[in-house]
Amino acid sequence: MTREPKAQNSVGLSEEELVLATLEPDQLAEAKKQHVPRRRLKGAELGVLWFLRIYLLFMIAVVIYQAWSGAH
Amino acid sequence: MNLFAGFRTEPKVVITHEDIDRAHDRARVQAARSRRSWVSQLRLLWLLVGPGILVMLGENDGPSMLSYAATGAKFGIGFFLPFIVLTFAMAIVVQEMTVRLGTVTQRGHAELIFERFGPFWGWFSMIDLGLGNFLTLITEFIAIRAGLGFFGVPPWEAVLAALALLYTALMTHRYWTWERITLAIAAFNLVFVPVALLSHPDWHAIRSSLGNWKPIPVMDKDTVLILLADIGATVTPWMLFFQQSATVDKGMTKRDVSFGRMDTILGAALAATAAVATVIATAPLFTHHMSAENFQAAEFAQALQPLIGKFGAALFALGIVEAGMVACVTISISSAYAFGEVAARPHSLNLPVQQGKAFYAMVFFLAALAALIVLIPGLPLVYVVLIVNVIAVLAMPPALVFLFLLVNDRELMGDVVSPRWANALTAGVVVFLTAAGVLFGISVIAPHLFAVIGGK
Repeated sequence: MTREPKAQNSVGLSEEELVLATLEPDQLAEAKKQHVPRRRLKGAELGVLWFLRIYLLFMIAVVIYQAWSGAH
Repeated sequence: MNLFAGFRTEPKVVITHEDIDRAHDRARVQAARSRRSWVSQLRLLWLLVGPGILVMLGENDGPSMLSYAATGAKFGIGFFLPFIVLTFAMAIVVQEMTVRLGTVTQRGHAELIFERFGPFWGWFSMIDLGLGNFLTLITEFIAIRAGLGFFGVPPWEAVLAALALLYTALMTHRYWTWERITLAIAAFNLVFVPVALLSHPDWHAIRSSLGNWKPIPVMDKDTVLILLADIGATVTPWMLFFQQSATVDKGMTKRDVSFGRMDTILGAALAATAAVATVIATAPLFTHHMSAENFQAAEFAQALQPLIGKFGAALFALGIVEAGMVACVTISISSAYAFGEVAARPHSLNLPVQQGKAFYAMVFFLAALAALIVLIPGLPLVYVVLIVNVIAVLAMPPALVFLFLLVNDRELMGDVVSPRWANALTAGVVVFLTAAGVLFGISVIAPHLFAVIGGK
């Protein structure tokens, strides 16, 4: 186990021990840089997402129409 | 998270300033957990509450409190009291999932959507969040401006004061301190309770309406708009992103999930109390047949003054300022978290400015831009406030489907995937919100069809 040199805010040994004793490995800022593997969406999931996307676009058009008619 | 199990065997560990700050917070949690006394358990609760209360009281924001005020003034005490309680129950179901997701994956919501489903769906989700958050942020400054306007504070001074407070809270560079400052401000949301008491409420009518949901309002366009605004006042996309990111930033782990649930329920209970109190507070305007059309915060306070006195009206105006202020902080931070997660930039309230330049700059830039827009003379502020809550409801179903997929992803969640009953409740919330949106759409573009299905 190595520690990054001075660049990382002068981490003292006691602080390093504290971090390792209290944080889970996944909680370290460095660990969060690791990518989450991609998951392929299935047919039904894609169908629902596309339906809701179209629904949202349509409804936003309705809101714009209502705002426009309200302004007039 | 088992997907990252490989990391645990990685020999090189880099420790950052952010880690050290978080470790200090976790050390206190561990110390409280190691003792069995009830005082220690209370201390543990005190240490672990925060994101849930903040998200719920943050959602009791300027437009939300104005929606509740409009509800009371337009419909009085009746159907909407239990309806608002129901919407908070929905919020608990939804927000609890973000606690589980955050503690298990240790990732923010935006980051998970982007990485798990790819940039195509990730950008859709970001556009929904970014647009909704920015519009909402504008309405928070509208609320602050209007609330302080009651005390004669000029608009530019009002927005400058809000920006100064936001800056002060952020410059602690410490999640814990920021959280406690914001919680202290958020506690003022309960100022609507004494305002309600000053309105001499009819307790019998309140008990009765909570039990039988009556009187049920006539289903017309205005009722549908208020229905949607009240739903949008409780469940919105930014809440998902904020609570998950804040849970991770606070350093909560799987062991803390039960406390995260308590935090969420406590927050919902406090926020529901303030929301119901606001409806009760403005119900006298309905009883006295006073038109509350196009009221802003200051007008509500002024209209209430003859009924609840100057002190009550001042409390109401202060409550609106608080609502706008807390949401201004939480919503701008929700956007900055999402930006940091997607742009792979450091994103934590434990970051010193040097290391979190992009994160802090994003928080402040969004807030300052929203504040500037509010100062544009002649802007139709009332309309913006109404529309924002409606847009929040419309954007919620797609956001919930992503949440649903993530929280049921066994690869990510392992043995803490959502149980069936939670999935059934979530599906119910999605159907309910979509149906409410469709009803709104029909009432706007096909009023004849709306009449056929029972509306007026």
